[in-house]
Amino acid sequence: MSIMTDFRVIVFAISVLLASGSVASAADSWGVAGEEEARFDATVVDVLCELTGDCPKSCGEGRRQLGLLTAENKLVLPTKNAANFSGATDDLIDFCGQNVTVDGIFTENYGVRVFAVQFVKPVGGKWQRTNRFLDKWAKNNGIDPTSNAKKSWFRKDPRINALIERDGFLGIGLEEDRLFLEENY
Amino acid sequence: MKILSAIVLAGALGMGLIPGAQAATSERVQITGEIIDTWCYVSEIMGGGEAITGTAHHQCAVWCAAGGIPVGLLAETGEIYMVLKLGDDDTSNANPRILEIQSNRVVVEGNVMERDGIQYIVIDEIVENAGITNRTHDDYGVIPEFGVPGQ
Repeated sequence: MSIMTDFRVIVFAISVLLASGSVASAADSWGVAGEEEARFDATVVDVLCELTGDCPKSCGEGRRQLGLLTAENKLVLPTKNAANFSGATDDLIDFCGQNVTVDGIFTENYGVRVFAVQFVKPVGGKWQRTNRFLDKWAKNNGIDPTSNAKKSWFRKDPRINALIERDGFLGIGLEEDRLFLEENY
Repeated sequence: MKILSAIVLAGALGMGLIPGAQAATSERVQITGEIIDTWCYVSEIMGGGEAITGTAHHQCAVWCAAGGIPVGLLAETGEIYMVLKLGDDDTSNANPRILEIQSNRVVVEGNVMERDGIQYIVIDEIVENAGITNRTHDDYGVIPEFGVPGQ
C-alpha cells in the first residue's frame, strides 16, 4: 500500500469517527472523585417534568434544573458548567427538548453520579464552551461581558453579598466571623 | 390526602398517562438533614467529607447555589437528595429561598423519587429549621480559604 493510500485511509477513519460523534472526550480533567471523561448525545429535558409530569413551557424557561436524557433512557444530571461556582442551566436552556452532544466529566461518590458539562454542541451547530452563565450574570449586573471582572462574579453578586453582610461568611453571625479571624489570621 | 396524591401520581406515571414523563415511583418521606452544595460535596474538588458541610463551606455553598448548581439535602443517614422544588416554588436554579437556608439543619416533608441512581426530592414543607448548627470551621477553617476576607 502506498503512502498516499495510507494517508487516505487515515483521513477516512478520522472522518468516520467525527461523523459518528464517537471520538474521545476533549474534556479537561479536574481531578474530582471517580472522574470519568465522557462525550455523548442526549436530549435536554426538565428534570422535574421528567420525574413528575409537571411540565411548564420551555423547560421552565431557566428556573429549573435540566437533565440530559440519553437514547438508552438514562437521565444524567449535569450539575456543573465550565465556569466558577455555577451550573449548566444557562448553557442548556436554549436546547430544551432538542438533541445535543455534550462533553465533560462524570464524578461519582457516595453512590451519586453527576456530570460536569464543559462543552455542548446542538445538532448541526458548533461546539460551545459552557460559560454562558458569566455573560448572563454580567448583563444582569451591569458589567461589561467582555471584561475579566465577570470571572469573579461570586465576589460581586448582590444576592450573595447581602447574605454575607447579614450572616457572615460562616453563616452564623458577624461576631463569629470576627472571632474566627482574630484567632486564625 | 398528600399520600393519596403521591400514589395517584405514581400510578399515572407508571401507566404512562403523563406525556413526556418517565415512570418514577414517589415515596412520601420526612427527612432530617443539612442543606448542602451538591457539586463540591460529591466531587470532593475542594476536599472531602465533613469539611464540605456546615460553617466551613457555607460561603462557597451560597456561591454555588446562587450560580445555579443543584442544592441537596444531606440526610443523617448520609444519603443525598437533589432538591427540585420547595413548597409551591418550582425554582431549582438559584432559588433565593434556598439561598436563605443553605447549610441549615432542617426537617422536611415531601416526596422522593429515584432515577438512575440519583434521589430527587420535592419538599412540601420545612417542618423544623434549626439554622446552621454544624460548626465545621472549628476543625477545618474556611474552605476554600480564599473565601476568607483578605486572603
